[in-house]
Amino acid sequence: MAFTITCPICGPRSGYEFRYGGEDKGPRPDPADMTPESWCDYAHMTDSRPGVQKEWWYHRAGCGIWFTIYRDTTTNLEVSPDSPETVA
Amino acid sequence: MIRLNHLPTLRINPGAPRSFAYGRRRLQGVEGDTVATALFANGVRVFGRSLKYHRPRGLYSLDGESSNTLVNVNGVPNVCAETTPLAEGMRVSSQNAFPTPDLDLLGFMDALSWAMPAGFYYRVLHKPARLWPLAVPVIRKMAGVGTLPPDFQAPGRRDEIYPAADLCVIGAGVAGMSAALAAAEAGLRVVVFESRPWPGGAFEYRPGAARDGVPYFQKTAELIAAVQASPHIRLFLNAPVIGVYSNGLVTAFQRGRPPHPFDERYIEVRAASLVVTTGCIERPLLFDHNERPGVMQAGCAHRLARTWGILPGHTAVFSVGHDLGLEVAADLFDLGVEIAAVADLRQDGMDPALVDALSQRRIPLLRGWSVTKAHGRNRVTKATLAGANGRFRKTLDCDLLVASAGLTPVTGPLTLAGARLAFDEHTGFFLPDSLPPRVHTAGRLTGRQNWHAVAASGRLAGLYAARDNGIDQAAAIDELVHELGARPGPARGTQFVIAPGSGKKAFICFDEDATVKNVDQAMDKGFDVPELIKRFASVGTGPGQGGIPGHNLPLYVHQSGASPDAHPRPTTVRVPLVPTFLATYAGTRLDMSKRTPLHALQEADGGRMERLGVWHRARRFSEDGRSREEILAVRTAVGMLDASTLGKFRIFGPDAVKVLDRVYVGDMTRVPRTRAKYSAMCNEDGCLTDDGVIVRTSDNDYYFTTSTGRAGVTVEWIRYHTRFDDWDFGIVNLTDAYGVINLAGPEARAVLQRVTDADVSNEAFPYMGYREFAVDEIPVRAMRLGFVGELSFELHVPASWMVHIWSLLMKAGKDFGIRPFGLEAQNTLRLEKCHVIIGSESEQRTTLHDVGLGFLWHRDKPWAKTVGDVALRQTEHQPGRLKLVGFRMADPSAAPPKDGSAIVDRRIRGYVCASRYSFTLKEPVGLALVEEPLSAKGSSLDIYENGCGGQLARAEVSETPFYDPEGRRLRV
Repeated sequence: MAFTITCPICGPRSGYEFRYGGEDKGPRPDPADMTPESWCDYAHMTDSRPGVQKEWWYHRAGCGIWFTIYRDTTTNLEVSPDSPETVA
Repeated sequence: MIRLNHLPTLRINPGAPRSFAYGRRRLQGVEGDTVATALFANGVRVFGRSLKYHRPRGLYSLDGESSNTLVNVNGVPNVCAETTPLAEGMRVSSQNAFPTPDLDLLGFMDALSWAMPAGFYYRVLHKPARLWPLAVPVIRKMAGVGTLPPDFQAPGRRDEIYPAADLCVIGAGVAGMSAALAAAEAGLRVVVFESRPWPGGAFEYRPGAARDGVPYFQKTAELIAAVQASPHIRLFLNAPVIGVYSNGLVTAFQRGRPPHPFDERYIEVRAASLVVTTGCIERPLLFDHNERPGVMQAGCAHRLARTWGILPGHTAVFSVGHDLGLEVAADLFDLGVEIAAVADLRQDGMDPALVDALSQRRIPLLRGWSVTKAHGRNRVTKATLAGANGRFRKTLDCDLLVASAGLTPVTGPLTLAGARLAFDEHTGFFLPDSLPPRVHTAGRLTGRQNWHAVAASGRLAGLYAARDNGIDQAAAIDELVHELGARPGPARGTQFVIAPGSGKKAFICFDEDATVKNVDQAMDKGFDVPELIKRFASVGTGPGQGGIPGHNLPLYVHQSGASPDAHPRPTTVRVPLVPTFLATYAGTRLDMSKRTPLHALQEADGGRMERLGVWHRARRFSEDGRSREEILAVRTAVGMLDASTLGKFRIFGPDAVKVLDRVYVGDMTRVPRTRAKYSAMCNEDGCLTDDGVIVRTSDNDYYFTTSTGRAGVTVEWIRYHTRFDDWDFGIVNLTDAYGVINLAGPEARAVLQRVTDADVSNEAFPYMGYREFAVDEIPVRAMRLGFVGELSFELHVPASWMVHIWSLLMKAGKDFGIRPFGLEAQNTLRLEKCHVIIGSESEQRTTLHDVGLGFLWHRDKPWAKTVGDVALRQTEHQPGRLKLVGFRMADPSAAPPKDGSAIVDRRIRGYVCASRYSFTLKEPVGLALVEEPLSAKGSSLDIYENGCGGQLARAEVSETPFYDPEGRRLRV
């Protein structure tokens, strides 16, 4: 957690100020056709792929917003959203 | 001992004596001494005994590169004497020596070294296995360094600071200070870490001079003055760097000064740029008995004289491989040390001025010679020298053997910063072949040894840092690059040489007692890369963190031909770079807790305060662990509970109701103005996370409560589950802005009516109603709730008025026998009513259905996409779940089972959530989560209580709630 995270309001801050909110899986799927398996998949399963991922963070010790960043999970460093690696 | 007290480079005050104890002796040092220099000045040569072989060890270096000088100071074991400043009255004692370092009865271990080959711990001692338990305590007693008593408390105070900076410089030598000054002049805020107690590095004490004739120490002093005068540079002395991490994070700690040597301060800096100017240490020379007391590095001998005014010996032999060694020999001669001979590993390439200096002083210079063996036991008495071809030998008497193969850069911080090192043939150093962005290096670390080149390279690094920070420095950089090109470049390094001989007693690592022979043994076993040999032979794994063997090991392995690599490869460096107290990492006890506004009042009333989560709360108000009097007061008269720890929130805005519908399982679209709505929150699994009440204070404006434990995460939770919706709402945490008084009992209304003009009759303010009125002109939000099962008013009062309102009610209730009650009483009261507490009657897997609160769930609001709705649907009739039941004991005179006791038959079928003796019902009652087949009324439950000795208690699933099942008492 030695890395910094760029909060859209507060700028780059120490990672300790934030709470991880998981990989970005997009908005909640339509509940109508959810089986217990597919719901469990949505609620709990992650891709956990090495490389750049889009993920949620909460600025707990700061402004209190949820936002997404791109982070390379192999280096633990934030990647600029404009970087070509962010294209999933 | 007489100090040389006329030297301009001294860092001691010979006129200020400091007395201290060493074992049973009383010794005297002076202000400015370290523990090591004070001991050395008093004639101590054997500082301690080595880890395995109990060999005598002495002062070899001065910056803690080895464990040679670890001592016990004031009861603290493993204190590095070299880096610990001497304080008046210190109690110093030796370690791992029985009875004293000079006369160690375990010294015979040295003769047994043949029995302890490399990896002997893994290879020898495990067979036969039955010997292992016998061997371990003996080894543990004989080996090792300091002893830590079980009740040890780390002395000293700790704190931590987080300075802000644009540039962090590691190492305040000439290069580091030049970098800091250049960057500060360009407008950067600079933080500089220096592990020594003063800046200046390798030039700070040297009387030598470059061509301009001004002594190094004088030029360095001018730099120091400039750095100290700069308002943009913050210089931390006594502050070794522990680690370097991503995004420019540097961690360090600062040691205390006398009289508080064990105070430590943790420092964390995250700067945009990093300049590493850590300079060089010396690469040890490998020969037999190369660690005898009296053998020391050139810098150590030189600094003892120049900085501390102590002559390191009477007669010295030098065996060195670099110009610095020649410079030291000439200077020590001038200070009064007799120099028997200077052997230089090099045939040529010496600085001619230094060669002249030696010959003027008639000091014999032996080119291509090296020491092969040190003689003497507790201190060196003779040294045998040999020519490179081994043909010529001579043995000279000496009490000081200055031995140093060459220089080696301190690259730890640089590699941690992400630089990749490669072997550089010219310097013989491991140097970065590429630097990460915003990381720069300069000075002696890069191989430059000339003062002007070192300073210019430092300034250049400072300008690069300014450029990183967006300050245009192109012209100045060009100029400096040009200047640097004209200065002497990196000096040629010394080849790796090992004196011909057995190597059995040539120690490559002092800390772990590892010899060259041990490395050979590891290579014989097939280990071929330093990284593995290091572990198998324990080389560089001790407190010195590779300071002694870090450079020699890869060079030796490479020379042996065992390694498949084309070039020597360094071993990996890891944090912490320097040993520090765990207490420093732990920091001060910043355990933050909260007190309610009524804390002092409740304590005065006899409240037993208890820590629950972040809060201090009153458990009970008497000696009685079961709080009988408090319970009876609520059941028969009136009581008051401080419920201020409840989470309290305001949510408002056009979309506020959508938000509430998203997180609460109930239907929030029709919360009337005058009613409190009880509801619950679930997670995505339909598991219960929170419950509380919601009231509507005006259009699009709501006030709601959460359980105490959820108050801290509620805003985060709500914003998380609405993050895709772009709804218009605001949420305010009012937990600390409001206090809550729960006024409960049959007489509660009478008490409340005495303090307010508002109509609080059952008709005007019915059960589950919400009213806003004034009590003594204070606006109060009141709800009629019934958690404890009696008529009760929950009063939400501005925190600053809590004491006033509580006191007012206490006075008003006096005639009715009012008394405060605590959490214990509340727990029994609500248990009689079977009202659940999240975390007591629920755990991670407990759904809303499981605890019987399924009726709170509004299943027909799919538009709301309520959190947990999908799972609540799917688990509504799921078999195999634990269900909440009430139980009574089969024997009403039995004691209530302990919370958490297992419910068993042939296996565990559930557990007791909470159980208490009910004074109202005159028998124990409880709640339990049990497997569904056991949850029918009348089922018999066998309870296994910890410590019951197999005697199961029998209980029976009962009708709930136990007390006032119709809830009449809430509605009066």
